[in-house]
Parts: sequence; C-alpha cells; structure tokens
Amino acid sequence: MSEVMIELENVTKIYGQGERRVVALADVSLQIKKGEIFGIIGLSGAGKSTLIRCINKLEEPQSGTIRLAGQEITNLKGKELRAARRKIGMIFQHFNLLSSRTVYRNIAFPLEISGVKPKERDERVRSLLELVGLADKINAYPSELSGGQKQRVGIARALANNPEVLLCDEATSALDPETTKSILRLLQDVNRRFGLTIVLITHQMEVIKEICDTVAVIDDGRIVEQSSVVDLFAHPRSAAARRFMKGVLHTEIPPEIKERMAAVGPEKLPGKTVRISFIGGVAGEPVISSVIRQFHVDVNILYAKLDFIKNTPFGSLIVEITGAETNIEAALKYLTAQGLKLEVLTGVGADS
Amino acid sequence: MWVQILNATIETIYMVGVALVVSALFGIPLGILLVITGPRHIKPLPVVHRTLSVVINVGRSLPFIILLVAIIPFTRWLVGTSIGTTGAIVPLTVSAIPFMARVVETALLEVDWGVIEAAQAMGASTWQIITKVLIPEAVPGLVLGVTMVAVSLISYSAMAGAVGGGGLGDLAIRYGYQRFRGDIMLITVLVLVVMVQGIQSFGGWLASRLNHR
Repeated sequence: MSEVMIELENVTKIYGQGERRVVALADVSLQIKKGEIFGIIGLSGAGKSTLIRCINKLEEPQSGTIRLAGQEITNLKGKELRAARRKIGMIFQHFNLLSSRTVYRNIAFPLEISGVKPKERDERVRSLLELVGLADKINAYPSELSGGQKQRVGIARALANNPEVLLCDEATSALDPETTKSILRLLQDVNRRFGLTIVLITHQMEVIKEICDTVAVIDDGRIVEQSSVVDLFAHPRSAAARRFMKGVLHTEIPPEIKERMAAVGPEKLPGKTVRISFIGGVAGEPVISSVIRQFHVDVNILYAKLDFIKNTPFGSLIVEITGAETNIEAALKYLTAQGLKLEVLTGVGADS
Repeated sequence: MWVQILNATIETIYMVGVALVVSALFGIPLGILLVITGPRHIKPLPVVHRTLSVVINVGRSLPFIILLVAIIPFTRWLVGTSIGTTGAIVPLTVSAIPFMARVVETALLEVDWGVIEAAQAMGASTWQIITKVLIPEAVPGLVLGVTMVAVSLISYSAMAGAVGGGGLGDLAIRYGYQRFRGDIMLITVLVLVVMVQGIQSFGGWLASRLNHR
C-alpha cells in the first residue's frame, strides 16, 4: 500500500453558539494517499470548504487531529505553522491574485515570503510560467487575464515553493466547461510529473470523473461515502452520491423515449425495452452483436451514452429487443451473465 | 497686495504640507493597527482595537477651533510657541491624525479578504501581509484618502488665523472681511478653489494610474 500523506481523525468543527450553532464537520476521518488526486464532493454548505481549509489550518477544528506527511498540523502555531504552510499549495475559486502585482510578481510572491534569493526566484518564476503556458503574459496584470489564465497563475503560484500537497478550493467552479477541462488537464499533468498529492473539493461530478482517483462524498458535515471513483460510479451507496450521479450518468429515461412509449402504449410495444448499464470491462466487447447472432433477436438501440472515468469506460444504452419471447428471455439472461446491469423498462409481459 | 497673497499662499502650503506629512506618519500606522486588530482580521486584539477606536472617535469629534485652543500648552511644549504658522501646524496635525487613521482604515478594509487569506495559506507573517498585501493592494484607496485629508487641512488652515497662523484664510478674514477689501477676499477664495481643485485632480489621476484592478 502506498503511504498516507494526509490523515484526518475525528475532526469536528462547529461555528457559532446556542441557536446559531452550525456543525460544519462532524467527526470526519479520512486518509489521503501520497500522489493521488483525492476529490471531495458535496453541495454548498455541506462542509467541504471547511474541511479543505482545516488541512492548512485556515480554519481551526474544535477537536480531532490532522496530520500531513506525519506532522501534526492541528497543534502548530506561529513560525512552525507558517513553515508547514509553505509546503502546502492552495488555489481558490476566485483565484485571489494580488491585483497590484503583475503575473511575474504574483508568482514570485510566495518565494519572497519564504526568503528565496532574487536570482533563484527569477529562474523559478520563469520555469513555472513555462509550465503553465503563460510565458507571454509575464508582465500582464491579473485584470488583463481571462479566468482560465488567472487560475493558471494561481497554480504556478501554488507550486512555487515545491509543495507536497496542493489544495484546490472549488478551483474550477468559476470557469466555463472548456476552461475547466484545460485546468483539470494541467492539474493532472502536475500530479503525474511531480507526484504531487492533490486534494480538491467541488460540487461538480464532472470534475471528480475527469481526474480523481478517490472520492469522498460529504453531506451535512459527514463523510457518507468514500471509495475509488470507478467504484462510486458502479455502485453508489449513499443517496447523496446518487444525486450527484444523475446529471452525469443519465439514470433518467430520456424524455424522447418516454414520449414514444407513452404514444404507442406500453403493451403494444413490439418487444422489450431494456436499459443496459455498464462500467469498465465489457464496453470493449461486442455483446450486442453476439446477442443478435446467438439468440435470433433484433436489437434496436434507442439511446446510448458512453463516457470515461479517467480511463475506465462507462455508460448506458436503452435498447428495444424484439423476437420470440423465449429468445428475449435467454438474451437478457446472457447479458446479465456478462456483468451488465439490466433494467426492463417495459414490453411484453412486463408490469407497467 | 500681490506680495501678501503670495506670502499667504506659501504659508498655507507650508502648514498643510507639514501637517499632511506628519499626520500621515502617525495616521497610517494607526489605521493599519486599527484594521489588523479588528475582529476576524489577521491579528485580533479586541482591547487594543476598541481603545484605539474610542480615542480616534474622540479626536474626530472635537471641533477644530476648540482643539486649537485646548492643546496650546502641548503646542508650546512641542515647538516652543503656540502662535504663528509653526504654532498652527501642531493643532492641524493633531486633528488630522485621527481623520487619517479612519481614511486608512476604510482603504484597507476594501482589500479583498481572499487575497489576504491566500497570503496566509502561503505562510506569510503578519508583517509580510501588511507590507506585501494590505498596503500595496490598498494604494489607490490610500491615495484618494490622503487627498481627502489634504483638502480638509486646507479648510482647517483657514482657522489658523485665530492663533496668528497666517495663510490664505487669515488674509481673507483680516483684509477681505475686516477691512472691506472685496478684491482680496475674491482672490484668496479663487486661489483656494484652484488649490483644492488641483489637489483633488492630482489625487484622482494618481489613484487611477496606480489602480490595476
């Protein structure tokens, strides 16, 4: 097993007192492995922002311990805390760049803080500018940059002191989908190149799906589910996880198909309408054509969606299978045996 | 007449200039202290914050003409005289310091909290946050604030005549009003208007030049 980079043990954070008391984190325990991209997903107000801010002690939990690379963060103060924070990069939803400084001087800022000498600083800033692809914007002010470019400056700035961990606080929430993708690719790139551990919080399942290895679902201050991203997509256990999945997996029947079924009347549909969901493995195999050949049925694909979680394909199909009833039954059994998840939506013999 | 007006103009510039610089020297650090010791800021110190706030409010609420007289012993102790242009600079400065502190406070509170937090996350010390984040980020606001104090000082300096401080206001009262010299009154007022206008325009121009937001 790879070593643990960040460890949270029974972390509790409460805001306010009396009637205004809000439990932001309730007894949260987590382990984040070195070199992984760990995603925390939750709705706004679920506590995810508090959670990530506890890791560099921007928020102080009431109880519990947080260790980073074996060092306990929770009891650090003053100089020691500042030294520890230099090894934790952080990027923000609203970028938080210094408006009075150019791109170059924004990236130089953390190096000034940690007392890096000017010559070394200059070399470091220039190589970081290359890394994030902003060498031509060196003398621009943040107000002259697009959102994506600002976040690139934010990433360069966060990497300046060669951190072991990068915290991303809703880093792509203020960006359009296209720019989000490019920022995620950059994060994935630095993760692979430098073996950097990345912790990101988001409310977008797309972000988790795109780059995370492990995911924790947070709801109402509690971690309700934690697993590898592929497992979460294959078997979401918590209601919160299923809610997030909806938009991404299309577990709903598309409206066009619903309309079609309603128009014909379910009992009059020729065969069976079945939803087939799959993840990993079988996506590469010609199951549909072997069903047609082996069982002498016709398969009409009504709807299909295929996507990838990192490198694992997943998706769902809605098909209409027609033919002799016994053949259809045999075909469905065969598909189930292939590890596919089937759901008969309607058709011959099915209850409506 | 023109010689008198020229001399009075120089006296006004001298009084306002010295008072502005000295009040900035004291008022800016006070303003910074006021902000950072506030609740939920980078160095919360409730007692210091509240005490400072009360003292500043007291200073701000004293009418200038009363302050002028009230601190005569202090003025005499500090500069050796309580009259004349030099004697007027002390009360002008004393009254401008709390004003300056509030103006600085307003400018610093405008700085985006997210940027301060980003600096904290990088491991910046309180001193580094003040010198590298708070002040540089607030520069346009600070320039406009200092401009405002300068304009107020010109208006206060007109009252310096009460202690024989000279300056344009004094000239306007003694010649323009008491000796019925309407022409002198008119010219001093014009000079004052031009001066205020000039300071305001320069301040505005400088602030927008320094603003990269």
